[in-house]
Amino acid sequence: MGSASVGDGLTKVLVVDDSAVMREMVVACLRGLPEADFEHAASGLEAIERLSLSPYDLVVLDLNMPDIGGYEVLEFVRGQDQLRELPILVVTTRGDEASRERALEAGASRFMTKPFSPEQIQEEARSLLGGSEDPVASAGEAGTGGGSGP
Amino acid sequence: MSDDTVDLREFLSGFVAEADDHLRSCRSALVALDRVAGRPEPNAVRQMYRSLHTVKGLAAMVGVQAVVDLAHRLETVVRTADQVGGALAPEAIDPLMRGLSGLELRVQAVARGEEVPEAPARLMSELEHLEPSVGPREVQQDLRLFLPPELARKLTGAERAQIAEAARTGRRVLRVDFVPTPARAAAGVNITAVREALARVGELVRVLPRSVPASEDAPGGLSFALLFVTDLSDEEIARRTSFGSDAVIEPLVELDAPVGSRAAEPEARADEGDMGRGVVRVDVERLNAAMQSLSSLVVTRFKLSRAIAALEASGVDVRELRVVNDEHTRQLRAMRESILHLRMVPVAELLERIPLIVRALRSATGKAVQVHVEGARAELDKSVAEKVFPALVHLVRNAVDHGIEPPEVRRALGKPPEGALRITVAEPAGDRLSIGVSDDGAGIDASAVARRTGRPVPADDRGLLELLALPGLSTRDEATHTSGRGMGLDIVQRIVTRELGGELSLRNEPGAGTSFTMSIPLTVSIVDSLSFECGEQVLVAPLGNIEEVVDASELRVAETPGSSRMKGQRIIERRGEVAPFFSLGEVLGFDARDEGKAVLVRRDGTSYAFAVDRVLGRQEVVVRPLLDPLVQVVGLTGSTDLGDGRPTLVLDLAALGDDLERSWPSLRP
Repeated sequence: MGSASVGDGLTKVLVVDDSAVMREMVVACLRGLPEADFEHAASGLEAIERLSLSPYDLVVLDLNMPDIGGYEVLEFVRGQDQLRELPILVVTTRGDEASRERALEAGASRFMTKPFSPEQIQEEARSLLGGSEDPVASAGEAGTGGGSGP
Repeated sequence: MSDDTVDLREFLSGFVAEADDHLRSCRSALVALDRVAGRPEPNAVRQMYRSLHTVKGLAAMVGVQAVVDLAHRLETVVRTADQVGGALAPEAIDPLMRGLSGLELRVQAVARGEEVPEAPARLMSELEHLEPSVGPREVQQDLRLFLPPELARKLTGAERAQIAEAARTGRRVLRVDFVPTPARAAAGVNITAVREALARVGELVRVLPRSVPASEDAPGGLSFALLFVTDLSDEEIARRTSFGSDAVIEPLVELDAPVGSRAAEPEARADEGDMGRGVVRVDVERLNAAMQSLSSLVVTRFKLSRAIAALEASGVDVRELRVVNDEHTRQLRAMRESILHLRMVPVAELLERIPLIVRALRSATGKAVQVHVEGARAELDKSVAEKVFPALVHLVRNAVDHGIEPPEVRRALGKPPEGALRITVAEPAGDRLSIGVSDDGAGIDASAVARRTGRPVPADDRGLLELLALPGLSTRDEATHTSGRGMGLDIVQRIVTRELGGELSLRNEPGAGTSFTMSIPLTVSIVDSLSFECGEQVLVAPLGNIEEVVDASELRVAETPGSSRMKGQRIIERRGEVAPFFSLGEVLGFDARDEGKAVLVRRDGTSYAFAVDRVLGRQEVVVRPLLDPLVQVVGLTGSTDLGDGRPTLVLDLAALGDDLERSWPSLRP
């Protein structure tokens, strides 16, 4: 399980977007998560740097960013052993099927298009974090799966 | 979890601020693309594409559909250009520019809380049918890169082309490796800082992350290869980036001349200020609120000083109180400076729009104009910047419209067919900044202006400017397309002198060009001032152009010989100069008492003296502009509150003197 790697019981979330306002919106939407601690990365490069230096429980990732975009972040992260299971929620304005497929292929755990509602992103985040938090539902769950029912 | 309801429309002001930034960067990218006329400029195209995409995404989140739709159209055009190597067809520039203006208008509407209209259907369809690409470019394939194949594979065609072009023109193409570690991150040396530092010394082509075996030196198992093009030497790069001399800088492309490389990690030190600098965006409204609170503090401080003075007058020992009060004064001043500083925006932001405006004028007038912008490093208060911008645009329009001749006329005159428009921003002197707009056009025909105004031909440029600033003057018979009827110099004059308390000057060289200079204050609102009594009235004047205050009895006062026109005006002679000496009470219609003091002011090398009853002291006052346009009186810049709750008039004595002197035109020798 990718999660539970952070020792102090806080859920560490990395929000990656080159738009500061967008990051603030994501954080505002996810405030309802219990015991969550948010960090920001303003570029794909910064995201890769942070992810390689410290553990996170969840990444919310934009696709369109300067230098290296979300696809490249996904490819790099999934190529690192210790990050292979990390839940990554891709959030993008590119709503087309090809982008979705490409993101999932590159290693996105979930794919959401902007605009999204606060409820939608909370639900996605909860279900991505849910697996390890709830000992009852500890059965093997695929990265892209959504089956949380008992 | 009870407060789960998040209203994303709360982020509207954040959206406006960020969208503004992105649109501004689109504008400068488009100017760069216009300049290269169809040649590839991959960085500009990519920057524009990303900015438009971000604006679209944000607009979608906050629910402004009209912006989403228009941004999408623009983005599609630019993305096509990006895919074919970053060249934009010259025909695409105009529609894109109109599209950007459309976005700007709509973002402004959001800012004002207005309904945002759909983009015009014609614009949308024009953008849809635009063929932006110049056609696929041949890409040099035989590029030999010193780069592991798994990294080289990741370079796009456009990036290869960029590298090949740089190598072909003899520029240096280099690679710097950066390995992030927790220690470096803690010192602020992270990939963002390194990237910014390198972008300052060259053009970044690409940053590639790569996996390396995790080790003590590379605990994250990560290394970044930064590929960039530069003209600087390794030493110069090390110096300017503060990477130290042991940075790994390796040539990326095989070059004729060997380039030295060193082996070590880029031990980049966090250079205070520059690297890893955080930027916080603040709503101007909040700054204004902070300024407002500060203004009340200034007023309270003045009350406190008066209370202390009253105590002292009644025989109380106030030394300790004075010390505290002085300290308080200094702290307030420091705080005022920091708040003012927050409100400062770079002049460069104002000037960024000028090339696009000139571009539009070029196509409207058929004139060829080259814009040169010089020395734009200064900063201005946001409110001043907003006020001065329309004046600047007026001057630029006038220069293109009335100043610069059509190419064929210029050729016949032996001038280069392309006119030169120069915008010069001087280093601020004191609290003033001067912005010059000059052209190498026909200059102004003073006698034609005189004819139109029915006044005598002015003797000098100052007189000419006065005529030009008469409301409604036009030096051309037909209203031109761009400037409308008249040169609008009355508007420029009003903004610069009345609204900003600055000065406008003119240098006219018939046949060779005109040059206007606006000298404006960097900030408005709180001003160091002198307060004095005149009759029963307390008045205030900014210290800025007050030269000295002397006892009236020290002055050598004379009266001009009894010419009927001068009505026996009093003059003084001081340090070899003659200046008119006015009774302020008389001028303003107050009953002056003893007129024991004289306030000497100077502007533009011209001085005036005013008699007042008593000087009260100097202090900072918050100047509130007189908003009622009916109460616009020359020499009166606003009102202030000195702590007694009553409005006190703030005078511009130099402007007042200037106005008064016009009644006696031949006063000076």
